[in-house]
Amino acid sequence: MTNYVLRRLAITPLLLLGIVTIAFIVSRIIPADPVASIVGERNMNNEAVVNAAKKRWGLEGGVIEQYFTYVRNLVTGDMGTSFRTKQSVTSDLWERLPATAELAFGALIVGGIGGIALGITSARHQNKVVDHLARLVGLVGSSLPVFWLGLIALYLLYVRVGWFPGPGRLPSRVDPPPHTTGLYTIDSLIDGDFGLAWRCLRQLMLPAFVLGWSLMGIVSRLVRAAMLDELHADYVRTARAKGLREGDVMRHHVLRNALTPVITIMGLTLGVLLTQAVLTETVFSWNGIGTYAVEATKRLDYPAINGVCITGGVIFLLSSLVADVLYAAVDPKIRYA
Amino acid sequence: MGVVTSHRSGGRRRWLAVATAAALIVAACGDDDSNDDGTTDGTEAAGDDTTPDAGTTVDDTTDDTSDDTTAVTEAPDDTGAPAGDARELIIARDMDLTTLDPQRAYCDTCQIFLTAVYQTLIGVDPTDLTVLVPRLADSWEANAESTEFTFTLNPDATFSDGSPVTAADVKFSWERLAGLEGSASYLMSGVTSIEAPDDQTVVVTMEAPNSAFINIVSAPYMGIVSQALAEANGATADETDSAEQWFLSNSAGSGPFVLDSYTEGDQLVLARNDAYWGEPSPFPGVTLKQVKDATAQLQQLQQGDVDIAMQINFDSVGELEGAEGITTELVDSYNFVYVAASAGAVGGEELADPRVREAIKLALDYEGILDTTVGGNGKLQASPIPNGFEGSEGLPLPEQDVAAAEALLAEAGVDGLTLRAAYPSVNVYGVDFDTMMAKVQQDLSAIGIDLELEPVEFAQWVEQITGDGIPFTAVYFAPDHIDSSQYVQYFGMIEGTSWQGRSGADPNADEQQLFADALAASGDAKTDLYNQLGQAMIDDLVIFPLVNPGLVLAYASDITGVRYSACCNLELGGLGID
Repeated sequence: MTNYVLRRLAITPLLLLGIVTIAFIVSRIIPADPVASIVGERNMNNEAVVNAAKKRWGLEGGVIEQYFTYVRNLVTGDMGTSFRTKQSVTSDLWERLPATAELAFGALIVGGIGGIALGITSARHQNKVVDHLARLVGLVGSSLPVFWLGLIALYLLYVRVGWFPGPGRLPSRVDPPPHTTGLYTIDSLIDGDFGLAWRCLRQLMLPAFVLGWSLMGIVSRLVRAAMLDELHADYVRTARAKGLREGDVMRHHVLRNALTPVITIMGLTLGVLLTQAVLTETVFSWNGIGTYAVEATKRLDYPAINGVCITGGVIFLLSSLVADVLYAAVDPKIRYA
Repeated sequence: MGVVTSHRSGGRRRWLAVATAAALIVAACGDDDSNDDGTTDGTEAAGDDTTPDAGTTVDDTTDDTSDDTTAVTEAPDDTGAPAGDARELIIARDMDLTTLDPQRAYCDTCQIFLTAVYQTLIGVDPTDLTVLVPRLADSWEANAESTEFTFTLNPDATFSDGSPVTAADVKFSWERLAGLEGSASYLMSGVTSIEAPDDQTVVVTMEAPNSAFINIVSAPYMGIVSQALAEANGATADETDSAEQWFLSNSAGSGPFVLDSYTEGDQLVLARNDAYWGEPSPFPGVTLKQVKDATAQLQQLQQGDVDIAMQINFDSVGELEGAEGITTELVDSYNFVYVAASAGAVGGEELADPRVREAIKLALDYEGILDTTVGGNGKLQASPIPNGFEGSEGLPLPEQDVAAAEALLAEAGVDGLTLRAAYPSVNVYGVDFDTMMAKVQQDLSAIGIDLELEPVEFAQWVEQITGDGIPFTAVYFAPDHIDSSQYVQYFGMIEGTSWQGRSGADPNADEQQLFADALAASGDAKTDLYNQLGQAMIDDLVIFPLVNPGLVLAYASDITGVRYSACCNLELGGLGID
């Protein structure tokens, strides 16, 4: 097991370098020059201003030279300075990551728990009304575009019935809790302000539900299929024949085996989650990595675009690493493969 | 095998699936006006605790914070800040800020921020753009040739740190604006020297007559920073400047507000300048909240989460009509959108023939475009000088004449012209450019001109227009200040202007002379010269203004002084509360 983990860890830096290189190349082959967006339309004809901007923002020299400078700086944790926000990309991302993490975590809870519950319900009632209903809920979640769902949810639940607060991480006229983790719900709890924690949680509910619902569909389908396979397996029949209670059969036999692939899919869906988070954040004015990425792309903000790609890549790598390790822990066949 | 036999525990889980579906159905059928009592957290009252000293200011702001049950229904019921009290003001806006450095900033939101934090020497009466009002300067005068301007500062003016505003600060700020060569540096073009003979006097000398300068001084980009504070944090007037980051979290101005905090993509928080030397704002703070979408802005205004929504769609005005506690006004703006023909661009060679350009002008269905883009909530505009600016009156509005357009094309021997039409795919001032360009494409196809529409991001548009050029494009323009000279400096066929270069034509000597005369003139003579310049720019057949959209002001009814200002967008210092 240790060897397996070490092997996986050893190739991670190589994968990271691959991500950095691809992100860099992709950002540079776009047929657009960021200098125009930096100096503005009026100054593009002023050669002195254009050259000064190139110098200031590290756009001088060839692409290869820029690449090596970039990698060298990256090793020290310096992702460069954003053309747009004028702040260090590392600090920009650090500021926004907790927002996205809070949203993604909320969505994982909604999607994971909801998906598993739906999948189990479906499988237990295969081809009954409950199964059809549960599959419909899952299907709707994974088919509807999150931005549409977000807008509809806001319109119905915020504007029409007022059950949920509007967009944003905090209600209007409310200050954020003192910064500890950057996750507002956790920080307010640490601060002992339970009222604020509840308000932050209420702000999180709708976007987390919208984002989580799309995940719920994937997870529930997978759990249902896996459960059905297991329910029909001989060992389950044997367990029942031995007189075990249905609950025990489910918990100790069926679920344990059925959930193994779910670990992997949860790891991989983190990538899907990050993609969907871009849209969810935009609709819900959630100032996370997603909105940052969108604005960076619009302004050809290379350092920020690369920073987001690398951060996304690292998250994806780490989550699949954790998923692989967990999978290996659960399933011995993997360790020796 | 494998028949599912057990249903025992199914009931326990059934609720989950049913509840999820039921919640959705209930939500979908939910009744409209049961809005605010679902939010039972009104007891929390965590509201306006951002400024503990909020009660120490003027007259009526200190009183009852108890149960104000007469508050308008849209007042934020879960904040604990009753309407009628000086609550923190919340403004929803899709912000386009990229910096808060007063000498580097150049954007619509920058105008609002700068006006609130960095005062100019002269202000503009928001109700009449021809009336200048004193700000940091008590008085000002120009010599007969309009080459030397003398400003006398108000000796009472102080920065937020209590230090006096002196002529040296003005000199430093304006030299820095020119020296940093940002987008707004063009405002300082032609200035040869700025002198500060004493603490209260500033003398500016120009290389040529420039009667526009007094008006230019009222532009928010001409705001004054405290030299001592700025220099202590790395500010200089050249490339060695390193203060931009400092300005992202600090301010050094003399305006009614100071910068409290800025979180890019989230909010810009201003706090009342308690050392303000003028009439203090009744609001302890103002938050400009990033709300990208116009519909979301509308919703948050309706729910009382924001006090002012700055970019409401024209379609939404009807929805707000009769809404209790919300005031909606449709006012004239000085913004406009236009299409332009660049014979100087690669692929635009055929446009060098003025008959082709005139055919394009005549083929456009202006009234139809006005209806399609803003639902008729705007005006047509004759020349690149927008309605309401000096020189815009009495010029002929564009009209469609397809037969004449076809005849001109035939005369020019053009048959089946195809033009690349890249444009920024944006929605500004309520105008959706994709919709507008589809209509333009349709109009031009009627005379055999085929537009290849190419919607791009604004950054790419800038790169293309300043590179190989774009034969046919669409863009927008909002005023930087209240003088008509800015339009000639950008659109005129005068040596060095942006559109002269793109037009592929030589500078127009007559236009150049008219402009020089206008810059040396004053009063009616100046107005008449700008009028002639407006006509000359119509005759250039390069810029075709399409729509001068109206502007929707939508705000909580207890807020007073909400006005659109030509120089400064929204002046936060002028806002009050009933």
